[in-house]
Amino acid sequence: MNLFENIRLALEGLRANKMRALLTMLGIIIGIASVMAISTLGSAMTGSVTKTMDKIGGKNIMVSLSPKNYDTQSTLQEDDLITQEELNDFRSTYTDQIKAISFSTGMGSGQLNSGFIHKDVSITGASPDYGLVNNINLVQGRFINERDIDGTRNVIIIDTTLRNSLVGVDGDVIGKEIQVDTKSTNETYTVIGVYEKLVIDNPLFYMGDDTRIECFIPITTAKSLNPDTANQNGYENFTIMATSNTDSAAFALTTKDYFIKGLGPLSDYTIQAESLEAIASEATGMLSTLSLGISVIAGISLLVGGIGVMNIMLVSVTERTKEIGIRKALGARNSAIRSQFIIEAMIICLIGGMIGVGLGSALGIMGSTLMKFPTNPPFLPMIIALCFSMAIGVFFGFYPANKAAKLDPIDALRYE
Amino acid sequence: MMGNKIIEMRGIVKSYYLGTPNELEILHGIDLDVYEGEFLSIVGASGSGKSTLMNILGALDRPTKGHYYLDHLPMENVKDDGLSQIRNKKIGFVFQTFNLIPRSTALKNVALPMLYGGVSRSERSRRATELLQLVEMGGRSHHRPNELSGGQKQRVAIARAMANDPAIILADEPTGALDTHTGRLVMDIFHRLHQEQGKTIILITHNSELAEETQRTIRLRDGSIVENRKNGHYQLEGCYESV
Ligand SMILES: Nc1ncnc2c1ncn2[C@@H]1O[C@H](COP(=O)(O)OP(=O)(O)O)[C@@H](O)[C@H]1O
Ligand SMILES: [Mg+2]
Repeated sequence: MNLFENIRLALEGLRANKMRALLTMLGIIIGIASVMAISTLGSAMTGSVTKTMDKIGGKNIMVSLSPKNYDTQSTLQEDDLITQEELNDFRSTYTDQIKAISFSTGMGSGQLNSGFIHKDVSITGASPDYGLVNNINLVQGRFINERDIDGTRNVIIIDTTLRNSLVGVDGDVIGKEIQVDTKSTNETYTVIGVYEKLVIDNPLFYMGDDTRIECFIPITTAKSLNPDTANQNGYENFTIMATSNTDSAAFALTTKDYFIKGLGPLSDYTIQAESLEAIASEATGMLSTLSLGISVIAGISLLVGGIGVMNIMLVSVTERTKEIGIRKALGARNSAIRSQFIIEAMIICLIGGMIGVGLGSALGIMGSTLMKFPTNPPFLPMIIALCFSMAIGVFFGFYPANKAAKLDPIDALRYE
Repeated sequence: MMGNKIIEMRGIVKSYYLGTPNELEILHGIDLDVYEGEFLSIVGASGSGKSTLMNILGALDRPTKGHYYLDHLPMENVKDDGLSQIRNKKIGFVFQTFNLIPRSTALKNVALPMLYGGVSRSERSRRATELLQLVEMGGRSHHRPNELSGGQKQRVAIARAMANDPAIILADEPTGALDTHTGRLVMDIFHRLHQEQGKTIILITHNSELAEETQRTIRLRDGSIVENRKNGHYQLEGCYESV
């Protein structure tokens, strides 16, 4: 007996009992909908994490010297610092993995004065590669170069908002001299570049409203202005930008091992190397724990739904005992009866699955839009969900269908 | 000239086991021969085993003992799927209570045996329409059983019994639920199928007048054949032999 005829028959049966069919499908609908919603949200989140990671430098590894034990007084020895020679060796050992290395040092906040304009800013001393590594989007002028570093020049990169308040949107600020006062310094800098501040609109990466204006000066200039670091000959921290085909989480470990060897055994300090990718995968790991939880709930719901389908199919077989007898008298083989009922169970589950996919996708889209990373529901989970719901139909429909198939034709015909 | 012996029963016994030690024997060794093209009636009181016999004749049930050859095929060797196929191709059932599928239209009901027989969709609907016209139900092909009168339902059921052009039509009290007039109409259809299409028809009935119309009447009493009589006005040679 052909499939099409069975499907038509099943649909006819369902149409006759719409409410009952819907109630039967409920478990399947809830189960499939929650799976679909979570996978839509999940793909939205991973997508947005990847996108944001690209923006803020997903391949970056932050390396720093940090005290082995924060409770005791630790003093950083001149020996502990990572020297330029060590870095050069490191770089030539791993040329394929390293794209750039940048250094920076925070100078804290200060006040920028130019004529009548006074602004609170924070000053960061940066190396030439800092712009590349941290994805600084320069809109005017240039970033710090080697000559600025070598010459310990008083040059500064400001952001667009500062440019706008100094000279207006169309004004030329390059070459303009501005004065910045910090706690211990008051220096005059020449503006050499303007950058646009990176906007991270991903709530997963929300780090508080940062309204500070950050300005960059050569790292050598910054160090010379700070009495603690003025005579330092080495680095306390730096950022490695790994090449795009490098596993940055693994390379972070390599980096740590490499530099830890350079530290004396008596040093109070150790090396920390963290890759942004590893931090992000922690965040996505949290998501997968969440999805696991929801999957368990969905699984239970699907199980209950499946049992519901089995129950309703048993009722249906009993109700249609006479019909089964008639069909057998007219020459239906047991297998034809069995497939009729299995297909009916499959159709119930498939329709439930389709409603669930629709509902779950809608929920997922709504949720991801609310969380500010709208996405389309992923295609593969959709197909898997539909196939899985059909499989539930086959599994839970088999027993009732088999019961129908094995009915004795005479008993079935005589059933009232 | 002897016709083809389409049914041969030897020593058919049917018993039910209502839990040991009770064994209820319903048919006590039935011997029966039916020839192709015969119109046979089976009469007997209620509970005499007519339906039980018909179920065995129609391959719906298996005898407890004895041999049954349907068109020379020993039925004891046929597996369940084989019985389904025999019911589908060789037998057409007509029941007292019509037994139409309530959710399906007259057309779908008539087409059903062809569906199980693997007939193509277009051929099914062509032949079903034709059969409904044969029983003068052409105008009602899209009606469901609950929109039809008893006589109409029975005519649809007869059309369905004819679907795969079976050799034998088995009718178990087909007029039992009908008034005299509609019963007459149904009976006329059987006569037509017998005369025009040469069908072998076995009619179970309470009505001795209707039984008289057939070529031969078998009387059952308490599960045994007590009479096997040729009816007067039919003069077909060699259509039966005494048992
Ligand atoms: N499944 C069964 N179990 C026990 N007894 C049965 C069963 N089916 C039929 N019988 C009995 O067999 C006898 C014959 O029944 P049946 O063939 O239906 O008679 P008829 O059709 O001549 O009225 C009845 O006494 C009936 O009670
Ligand atoms: Mg009976």
